[in-house]
Amino acid sequence: MSKIRNKKKREKFDVISNVIIVLFALLNLFPLYWLFTSSLKNSSDVVKMPPDWWPKSITFSNYVDVFQNQPALRWTFNSIYVSGVSTIIVIVVGAMAAYAFSKINFKGKDIIFIIFISSLMIPKEIMIVPLFRITQQFGMVNSYNGMIWPNVAGAFGVFLLKGFFDLTPNALREAGRIDGANEWRIFTRIMVPIIKPGIGALFILNFVQVWNDYLWQLVIGQENKMKTLMVGTATLMQDLNPNFAYKMAGATIAAIPMLLVFMLFQRFFTNGITAGAVKE
Amino acid sequence: MIVFLAFLVYPILEGMRLSLYQINYDSEKFVGLANYTTLFNDPVFFKAIFNTIIFVVFIVLLTVGFALFVASAVFDKNAKYVSFIRGSYYIPVMVSMVVMSMVWSFLLNPANGLISFIYKDMGLGTINLLGNPKTVLPVVIFVTFATNVGQAIILYIASMIGVSKELFEAAEIDGASRWQVISKILIPSVGPTTTYITIINIIAVLKIFVVIQLLTGGGPNNSSVTLMYYLYNNAFKYNQLGVASAVGVIMFVITLLLSVPQLRSMIKVK
Repeated sequence: MSKIRNKKKREKFDVISNVIIVLFALLNLFPLYWLFTSSLKNSSDVVKMPPDWWPKSITFSNYVDVFQNQPALRWTFNSIYVSGVSTIIVIVVGAMAAYAFSKINFKGKDIIFIIFISSLMIPKEIMIVPLFRITQQFGMVNSYNGMIWPNVAGAFGVFLLKGFFDLTPNALREAGRIDGANEWRIFTRIMVPIIKPGIGALFILNFVQVWNDYLWQLVIGQENKMKTLMVGTATLMQDLNPNFAYKMAGATIAAIPMLLVFMLFQRFFTNGITAGAVKE
Repeated sequence: MIVFLAFLVYPILEGMRLSLYQINYDSEKFVGLANYTTLFNDPVFFKAIFNTIIFVVFIVLLTVGFALFVASAVFDKNAKYVSFIRGSYYIPVMVSMVVMSMVWSFLLNPANGLISFIYKDMGLGTINLLGNPKTVLPVVIFVTFATNVGQAIILYIASMIGVSKELFEAAEIDGASRWQVISKILIPSVGPTTTYITIINIIAVLKIFVVIQLLTGGGPNNSSVTLMYYLYNNAFKYNQLGVASAVGVIMFVITLLLSVPQLRSMIKVK
């Protein structure tokens, strides 16, 4: 008797909480819906009161405007280039360092690793002044070098990939050695292919992180043509042009690539975010 | 390694050095602790500290609480539903704070934003949530929380799926209610994840910037200034690089203290 009542109560609690969760999820997605639909409205419809919940006539003129009045194509290229190159460097360097930390014994290894890990916790944003002056001294302001290198310095890649290397059996290395392979061959031919899922996760997480980075790119890319998509789009916000449809079109251009990436690679996100953070 | 040293370790030391200097375009003059004195005489600095603390406390509590609620309600449901929830909460994280701030700024716009319209439509008069010093903080807290909670949800779901099934079976035999299962088994089991989420969120909120710059500009009348925004303004608007470095050093010390427990557990696991 009491068990049955218990079960009923349990289900009620469960149903209510799930309804709340789904509603909040939809509410959470609404701003994005509003972003897309607003970007397709013409400039008078977008500020109409009461608003059109769905654009009555769809126009792409806002997008044309953004690409014509602003170097948005160049911004997109900058974003792809900076995120892509940073990520490739992070992976190559990160994989080698992670392999060394995971499988090779060398002097001072533990201390170096602890320093590496500590740096994970310090956001580079708070060091932005010295960081800016250093890049300035290197003559890297308004250059791709300045946009890329500070992104590459970070231990996240090493940390993530080390977790994957730690899971690979040592027997594989020994087998490789018996077959006469040197360390480099073992690394490139045996180990790297095994940790491909880790590399995939790192690629996506890092790419997205650099793509969405704002503060550093704002400081370092001062010329309009050196801006990334995020910074460029944000300048539309401060633009005197009162047309919100135009601003929303800019924001949509910055958002769409990330949405596509997410839809295609959802699995990698979950793997990458949880690796290293969640221990069973 | 060289890159790591040049762009990570060296800036920390350089930052400490710069915080003791007065810096104009090319010249540097040693001024000792004068930059820190300037800071402690600036009411805006205290406003920034106060706001940052408010943001940290509320955003972290909301994030941890809500993420626990969502994850514990959905973790044992079917895989499609779980990935729908995960996805719909994570998408705003993906599209970045810049984009989300822009949309919210449109939604909240007093002249033609949707929220202002709905408010007026319900017969409540005009509203300017971002222009009112009383409402600006709650709005920023909500926007930041709603945009970023997805990450915590993903972490919690993953960690809850990892909790041993035997514990739940035992609880079921004992006739425990779902609420009891959640509060007595689930939440204690994901304790380490809670610590991790709390710390990374505190640090993330500490450096909150984008939403302030794009949504409120620190206003009205400095009522939403944060430490990071204050640092940025000093460095790149008022050209007070020394003062900005001092803020950076203070934030560095805070972050370091906060991250000690997490570091300890990470090193132990290794």
